[in-house]
Amino acid sequence: MDSAVPRLETRRLTRTLDSAGQPLTVLRDVDLVVPAGQLVAILGPSGSGKSTLLGLLAGLDRPSSGEVLFDGEPIHTLSEDRLARLRRDRIGFVFQSFHLLRNLTALENVLLPLELIGVRRARERAGALLAEVGLADRGHHYPSQLSGGEQQRVALARAFVHRPSLLLADEPTGNLDSRTGGAVLEILLRLQRDHGSTLVLVTHDEAVAGRVDRQIHLLDGAVVEDRLTGPDGQP
Amino acid sequence: MRLLLRQAWRDLRGERGRLVYFSICIAVGVAAVVAVAGLGSSLERGIRRESKQLLGADLAIGSWRPLGEDVDRALEDIPHRRTDLAELATLVVTPPQPDRQPRSQLVELKAVGHGYPFYGSVETDPPRPLAELLENRGAVAAPELLERLGLDVGDRLRVGSELFEVRARLLHEPDRIAGAFTLGPRVFVGLDALERTGLVALGSRVLRRALIALDELPDGNHLDSVAETLRGRLEDPGVRVETYTQAQPALRRGLRRLAGFLGLVALLSLLVGGVGVAQSVRAWLDTHVDAIATLKCLGWRPRQILLLYVVQTLLLGLLGALLGAVAGICALVVVPRLLPDPALAAYVDPWQPRAILRGTVLGTMVAVVFSLPSLLSVLRVPPSRVFRSDAQPLPATRVLEVGALALTVIAVAAMAAFQAGDWDVAWRFTAGVLGTALALLLAAFVVRRAVARIPRGALPGRVSLRHGLAAIARPASATQGAVMALGLGLLVVLAMSLVEHSLTRQLTRELPDDAPSAFLIGIQPKQWSALEQTLREAGSERIESVPVIVARLAEIDGRTVSELAAGADRSRRWALTREQRITYVDELPASNELLAGELWSRAGVAEISVEEEFADDLGIELGSTIGFDVQGVPLELVVTSIRRVDWESFDVNFFLIAEPEAVADAPQARLAAVRMPAGAEQAAQDLVAASFPNVTVIRVRELLERVLVLLRKLALGVRVLGSFTVVSALAILAGAVAAGAARRGAEVALLKTLGMTRFDVVVCFATEYALQGAIAGLIGGIGGVVVSAVVVTQALDVEWSFQAWRLVATFVAGIVLSVGAGVLASSRALRRRPIEVLRER
Repeated sequence: MDSAVPRLETRRLTRTLDSAGQPLTVLRDVDLVVPAGQLVAILGPSGSGKSTLLGLLAGLDRPSSGEVLFDGEPIHTLSEDRLARLRRDRIGFVFQSFHLLRNLTALENVLLPLELIGVRRARERAGALLAEVGLADRGHHYPSQLSGGEQQRVALARAFVHRPSLLLADEPTGNLDSRTGGAVLEILLRLQRDHGSTLVLVTHDEAVAGRVDRQIHLLDGAVVEDRLTGPDGQP
Repeated sequence: MRLLLRQAWRDLRGERGRLVYFSICIAVGVAAVVAVAGLGSSLERGIRRESKQLLGADLAIGSWRPLGEDVDRALEDIPHRRTDLAELATLVVTPPQPDRQPRSQLVELKAVGHGYPFYGSVETDPPRPLAELLENRGAVAAPELLERLGLDVGDRLRVGSELFEVRARLLHEPDRIAGAFTLGPRVFVGLDALERTGLVALGSRVLRRALIALDELPDGNHLDSVAETLRGRLEDPGVRVETYTQAQPALRRGLRRLAGFLGLVALLSLLVGGVGVAQSVRAWLDTHVDAIATLKCLGWRPRQILLLYVVQTLLLGLLGALLGAVAGICALVVVPRLLPDPALAAYVDPWQPRAILRGTVLGTMVAVVFSLPSLLSVLRVPPSRVFRSDAQPLPATRVLEVGALALTVIAVAAMAAFQAGDWDVAWRFTAGVLGTALALLLAAFVVRRAVARIPRGALPGRVSLRHGLAAIARPASATQGAVMALGLGLLVVLAMSLVEHSLTRQLTRELPDDAPSAFLIGIQPKQWSALEQTLREAGSERIESVPVIVARLAEIDGRTVSELAAGADRSRRWALTREQRITYVDELPASNELLAGELWSRAGVAEISVEEEFADDLGIELGSTIGFDVQGVPLELVVTSIRRVDWESFDVNFFLIAEPEAVADAPQARLAAVRMPAGAEQAAQDLVAASFPNVTVIRVRELLERVLVLLRKLALGVRVLGSFTVVSALAILAGAVAAGAARRGAEVALLKTLGMTRFDVVVCFATEYALQGAIAGLIGGIGGVVVSAVVVTQALDVEWSFQAWRLVATFVAGIVLSVGAGVLASSRALRRRPIEVLRER
């Protein structure tokens, strides 16, 4: 991969929703360039368009106007199925409310992305990832038998197991108490570092925001502040 | 109460989906119940209303022997009008013509006198009075006969040895309900002409009836007392007196039995609907737990809250039942078109208030009774839930729960008794349904456990298969009840189809090579050698012929039949008084086995050999003396042997076999059994009919085919009704799936986010429903095989036969129906877009 090509790029990205017959612009002319390997936090009050931006970056939603480029390739024009394949192969997700499949065990949840791709020796890799998040012996448990922190750790293993080049996280610690949240954050950052993934996360949590390379602040759908932080980004 | 109703209404609004689903569960079964009950009662009512036409008289006196002077004497002091008629089965033949061979057909001949019928009328084309049409050797024939023989009105037709002119087609005969089994199409001739046909000879079976119209038209009671008086005066027990109020007793009994059976099948689909109701109520209450806790905090007593939900269930049940009743009424508009006889169809009146009431009551009852066990959970909702969502439920009240279950069982039995009109049948039905349901639940449980144990990584194939398996094995799968219901429905349909198959097979079983294909009756002894010659020329094989002496029992061991018959039950009286057929042979046929005594062993004694069961029934032993009345001539025979007969063989067999010397001079006829070459039966029959007008040919295969047509029609009706159960089950499955739509939608969105294409997701869901359908199909299929085997061998006493493809078809149907209903019901969930995972908090 040519390192000059940014992992993600948006051009005049705009998303308008229809709210009770009135057009409501939730995201306006967002221009972003995210190089490979960067750790980005999107911050802002609720309703500022954070999740909408995340959804557009993942190809879960389509922009009203503007473009999204993934590794230099426009994805806003792809079909639903092409987008699904893109997510399957190159993107990992972590959600605020974990979103594990209730009828699959922890190990099976982690296996799922590998099974979708059709990877061989998938169980070993899934087992290894579970071990990395410290749940080697909980693989046969169903989500309902795990605590919130444990569930989110399973979700982290699932997000990284197929070595995605981009990881998107939506308030990954939002549903956890601060101690558990802290532990989960450590694991997330470690995995991101070890796998070299680009990580874009939406958060309210100052503790999280303080650990990233770059902070993007949104307000009413527009970028109001975009600054590099942390060791690499110090001016 | 007003508060209760108001609160119930508030609770129900805004739940349109659940309302519709709940209603459908009840409505399907109620429609079946109303349709069956309405059909049964309107047919019964129609037959009763038209009973005078159906008898053609106020009362009728019937016998297989000519009605003698005793009948005239018995009627002497009763003011009446009378007309006589005679009925018999015989061959009719087209008259010889230069350019074509005569053709023959077995018909049911009815020879009627002037005045027939007293009530109702015979409709003909052209429309003229019957008496006028039958004058001077006129005949009226059913259109299908004319068509088969290639005749038209104005052509001639030979009946016995007499030629008749066909003067009209028969359109409607008031006292005959077609669609029931008949030997052949109807032909009317005049009673005076019957004697000239030569058909009323020895060995022919002629039913004689005198139709009586009472001049002073009495009400029902009076009529019955006249009939009773007549019965007292007519000593001959072979003479039957019936009044119009008892018209068509056999038909009505048959209808009632059929209605009872169909009523149970209909009830079954209602019970399956009950399973859906129970499930829907449980899901419904799950969403109301917080509301219930709040009501408790507001000071509602638990009993009040329970009542609140019972009232809601009652209202929903009533709504569903009313919808079902409307559907049932619609079915009653359509169904009569499928009945075999338009006359019967005309009796069907879709507006049957009692049937509607029956359906509505049963439907509402099922709704409440099946919901009750689920509804009891409102008692367990802790008020503290308003503060903490994980508050422990209150302790269960065992007594109430067990009571609710017991109530369910009793209610099912009561409904079954109501439907079948018989408690004995009802308990067996209830036990059967319970047993089957338990077996299905157990089997589903075992299968799920087994699936859960399969290491999913070890499975080959796509993710979707593994994912589907996981869905089956997951704890508390929401579609369990649906699997049970679908299994039950498939069980019913398969069992019905296998029962029908076994019956049909029994009837159409390849006749062995030595089985006769036709019987010839009414042969005069002196005709036999010529007839045998004719049969041989027509290619018949295995011609077997025996003499037949028609006689009646007069006394056994010195006691007269009237003495013996007094106080005896109906079947014994019939055995004593019916016409007996005696043959005589030198040696016993192979299918007979001597049990006691010896054949023709005592010199100088006129001997007879008696079949064992016949002997048992009449109390006849070795050494007994039996007195017969042979056309007025007494004949006394001593029992010197008792035989066992293999009735399954195709030999011509008799209860009574006499020593040849003892009876050879008695008036007699002959009976023959022959095997006619397949395909040449009609030609052989035509040949016989042309030369031997008094001989009647009864073709076995043709008769069987008539029975089969009737049986298949009946079986189709039963299967259609049985498939209502499957429809109920599918409604339940769809409902259960739709109830979980929100959760499934979230799952779909997530799977799409993780990179599953839409197609993958559909395959994944289809796999899950296919597996569920496979469980239902497998268990329902095996259950259907077992149930049919039990019914066929125990209840019908017929050999059970199995066709594997029907089981396979059931299995496949289970999968196809389940996938169809499941995927359709998930269509909204399947459309969920991946972005929604982010919106969900």
